[in-house]
Amino acid sequence: MISAPSARVPANATYGCGPVALKINFTDSWLGEALHGLLSQYDAPWGNPVLVIQATIGRGPLPPEAKEPTGAYFRSWLLRVERQGGSLISLSKSGVWLKYDSATCEAVVVVPHGSDEPSIVEETEQQLILLLARGWAQAGWTPLHAGSLLPPGENRCVLLCAPSGVGKTTLIAAALRRGWRTLGDDKTLLQTGKDGLIARALARRFHLHPSSSRWFSELGDFGKFPHYSRWTDKRVVPIASAWPDRLLDSAIPAAVIQLQRIESGVEVEPMDPMKTLHTLLRQVAIPSDAEYARPLVACIGAVAAAVKAATVKIGQGAYDDPALVGRLEKTLWELLT
Amino acid sequence: MQNPSSDSCWRLRSDVVSTVLHNGGVILDLRSKFFFSANPTALAIVQMFETGATSAQVLEASRKWGANGDLPAVEQLIEQIIAEGLVEAATPAGGVMPEVAVGTWLLPVLSKHHEPLQRIMVSAFDPGLPLAE
Repeated sequence: MISAPSARVPANATYGCGPVALKINFTDSWLGEALHGLLSQYDAPWGNPVLVIQATIGRGPLPPEAKEPTGAYFRSWLLRVERQGGSLISLSKSGVWLKYDSATCEAVVVVPHGSDEPSIVEETEQQLILLLARGWAQAGWTPLHAGSLLPPGENRCVLLCAPSGVGKTTLIAAALRRGWRTLGDDKTLLQTGKDGLIARALARRFHLHPSSSRWFSELGDFGKFPHYSRWTDKRVVPIASAWPDRLLDSAIPAAVIQLQRIESGVEVEPMDPMKTLHTLLRQVAIPSDAEYARPLVACIGAVAAAVKAATVKIGQGAYDDPALVGRLEKTLWELLT
Repeated sequence: MQNPSSDSCWRLRSDVVSTVLHNGGVILDLRSKFFFSANPTALAIVQMFETGATSAQVLEASRKWGANGDLPAVEQLIEQIIAEGLVEAATPAGGVMPEVAVGTWLLPVLSKHHEPLQRIMVSAFDPGLPLAE
């Protein structure tokens, strides 16, 4: 599903990714063009970066010193990662290799020559997401796979937690139509400090499946938007293209909802702090390495302790019924009061 | 399960992390991905194992915190902590035990959450399996 690379990416490119700037030297221009979609998505404004990572990405054989990582630091479908001192070493299924030295903030990604280019690109993307997740944590932020909503005039937000495909974006769109605002639909950074909790935006775009187009009449034909990745048929849709005045850069997390699908109607159940913590932890890719996991767990614990929370179950046709949409909005408001 | 004799020293495994929550805290086992909620006294007992402690030292501390008639419950909790593999056998450090404070004594409760976190994730940002569109 990856579109043929089309963007012209210079050999040396800098991407602002929230508090992290990635300065990349592409020794293979095709790779630069193929990875541009992923790297350009973190378009929320942040000012000067807290951390600058220098990365070199190119083709070649595995370095002679490369060994199969144990996966003791992190393991995903495509990656096995281990920590060696201050360095992360990661190898993907098809042999894309990453080494990141967190002391020097230097990364090397070696991509094998191969016939299955879509897999190679996908796995290189996963290595860059790993690199960014580590960089964000190093910069003091906890990456959370969650959307957010703020009512008009408020700076406190509801965090929306659910796996991809459950309906975070659809609920956000329904609320935006009623004047609510958002930091984004699935990528949020959290920080806890002396001034309290803060949530920051990373990406000002939705990832929408064409089958959901009937919920987003403001956007017109989805065919004009580029694909998100080859995993899904989702399209990358700038939120500003339909709701230019509904984007915020930061907010105070004050509530959490866990979204679930049901057959029909809307059901709301309060969540206790333990379930809230579980819900939030399931939205964070926590490494198995205690030193690196501890700050993420502490941040999520602080959020779970500070918020009101509920499970919100939404039926298939709920958004067709103005009364049910009104009930959803009332639920969001009640969580913030 | 290893035998928790009173002079055996146990230390929290290096891949077990704890964090404070409402009225207690959470202990996350990064190896099994299970996590546990602990009330303030259970959390204090778990924290005693961070630098290594014997059952006798934990029982003595609990007595000072006001456990008195609840000492069998403290022994049960220590057995639970050992049985869950949250601690491993260690050599006694020999130094002074760190001060762990407990406000009001409560019967210690450590509850294992029935559902672990994801063991294998989708990506380093989005851990969960996507639902079919």
